[in-house]
Amino acid sequence: MDIDQVKSQFPIFRQKTPTGKDLIYLDNAATSQKPQSVIDAITNYYSKEYSTVGRGAYWPANVNTVKINQVRSKVKNFLNAQSEKEIVFTAGATDGINKIARSFLAPKLKSGDVIMISQVEHHANLIPWQELCKAYGTELLVIPVLESGHLDYEWIKQNLSERVKLLALSACSNVLGIKNDIKRITTMAEVTQTPVLVDAAQVLSHNRVDVQEWNCDFLVFSAHKMFGPTGVGVVYGKQSLFNEMKPFNYGGGIVKEVTFEASNYQDIPHKHEAGTPNIAGVLGLGAAIEFIKQLSQNETDTHLEELTNYALSSLKAINGLKIMGGEQDKAPVISFTIDGIHPHDISTFLNEEGICVRAGHHCAQPLLQRFEVPASVRVSFAIYNTKSDIDKLVMALLKTQAFFS
Amino acid sequence: MNERLKSLYQTVILQKSREDKYVGKLNDFSLEFRAYNPMCGDQFDLQILIEDNSFKCLKYSGSGCSISRASAAVLCEHLQGVELDTVRQKVELFLELVDADSDKQPEELTDDENLLAFAAAREFPERKTCADLSWKELLNQLDTLNQS
Repeated sequence: MDIDQVKSQFPIFRQKTPTGKDLIYLDNAATSQKPQSVIDAITNYYSKEYSTVGRGAYWPANVNTVKINQVRSKVKNFLNAQSEKEIVFTAGATDGINKIARSFLAPKLKSGDVIMISQVEHHANLIPWQELCKAYGTELLVIPVLESGHLDYEWIKQNLSERVKLLALSACSNVLGIKNDIKRITTMAEVTQTPVLVDAAQVLSHNRVDVQEWNCDFLVFSAHKMFGPTGVGVVYGKQSLFNEMKPFNYGGGIVKEVTFEASNYQDIPHKHEAGTPNIAGVLGLGAAIEFIKQLSQNETDTHLEELTNYALSSLKAINGLKIMGGEQDKAPVISFTIDGIHPHDISTFLNEEGICVRAGHHCAQPLLQRFEVPASVRVSFAIYNTKSDIDKLVMALLKTQAFFS
Repeated sequence: MNERLKSLYQTVILQKSREDKYVGKLNDFSLEFRAYNPMCGDQFDLQILIEDNSFKCLKYSGSGCSISRASAAVLCEHLQGVELDTVRQKVELFLELVDADSDKQPEELTDDENLLAFAAAREFPERKTCADLSWKELLNQLDTLNQS
């Protein structure tokens, strides 16, 4: 794959940073940069074809209604869902998880029930469940993570029971970068008939997801971590579950008949999409999926795997640098600490070199507590990153270390 | 290393961040509070012994970056022995020193080099919360003290 050609599609890399450096963007686990095609899809909508969707029988509403349906179809194919009815647009992964918590789980919870999550969860896949537990007297069970960063699958097997009303976990830790074996988990959950929600926010820019193979009940993601715009995402849900659930929100666009006495609702997926949607965002998501599709999956995998291995070996050569978690089942996400230098100081030094990394707890405070680390530096790669980026990172880390020694 | 970084990480900041003179816990204290930045996880517990209407003794413990550590250390040093009546004024001066929106030059506010070292935070808005973490929380505590 010609990485230079791929990178040239991202206009942000054409400029220098305020300190006059080339931008080396290594915070892709937080959000990824946008290719021109995504930016064009959004500006084209606002500048040439702006309208609402699904409500107007005129140009350009007709055009956009068709386009939104096409994006739904693209998402369906992207996830290998069975039907467009299983795809609901949201404001992002966090929004999706909150909606499932409120519309799917809350109405059926009672005291004594259990919600199971894991120790690696992002706050987005922890706090909504914690709040439900508080409100309904439900117990929150937390799957322990091993030193390697893998979940304790034996523990899951032992603790899954019919009391567990939902198992919610991420496909990949946003801190450790260790991918979870979702298929193994859904197979276990099938025995106790526990629905499984997968937070796929962290994997879609670098991994193809097949919801039928995973056999998960729900899956959420955000467009902005996979080259799309912010403020838009998707909840995938099995048709039977989407059908039985109450609407995510109430309002216009989801109804059949409305009187002051009662209202009834459209079929899925529209039943769950009240209000005028984030049309520009959805169109941008469509362009992002197209962008990912035009890359060869095999070549993307190879490139990111090579980068990750190269980064692991280069970073490990630095004295006093400790990588959190192991190296098996590793996504292109690496968290580390360096003896005697706080991650924030590292981040400031790297920023002067044009290098963007994340320093802190990465919205996963309980996981950092588990590893007894108050904060870490995280680097995460996307298709436009190169070995030269990693060389510059290592050089800058060595310079930082020299300064603080 | 460029000049910007040099101004932020002055020798005094590096020294103060490593100094352990004010690190630890007091057996006897009148005021204890936690300064915590949820965005980055920096967290310090500060203890102050108030006697004869002044800050008699101050200690801090916890973890954070070199700027926030140095800032906690300088807070302890700068406020040791200070009378209660003038603590607020000193805290507010420090907060103005690191505030890029202040219309005063740092040198107009103080000639104390240990304090002036933090004025570079004006050039690094993302690090202002490191520089003022303990000081801002102390100001909150003073407000509470006044109310009670």
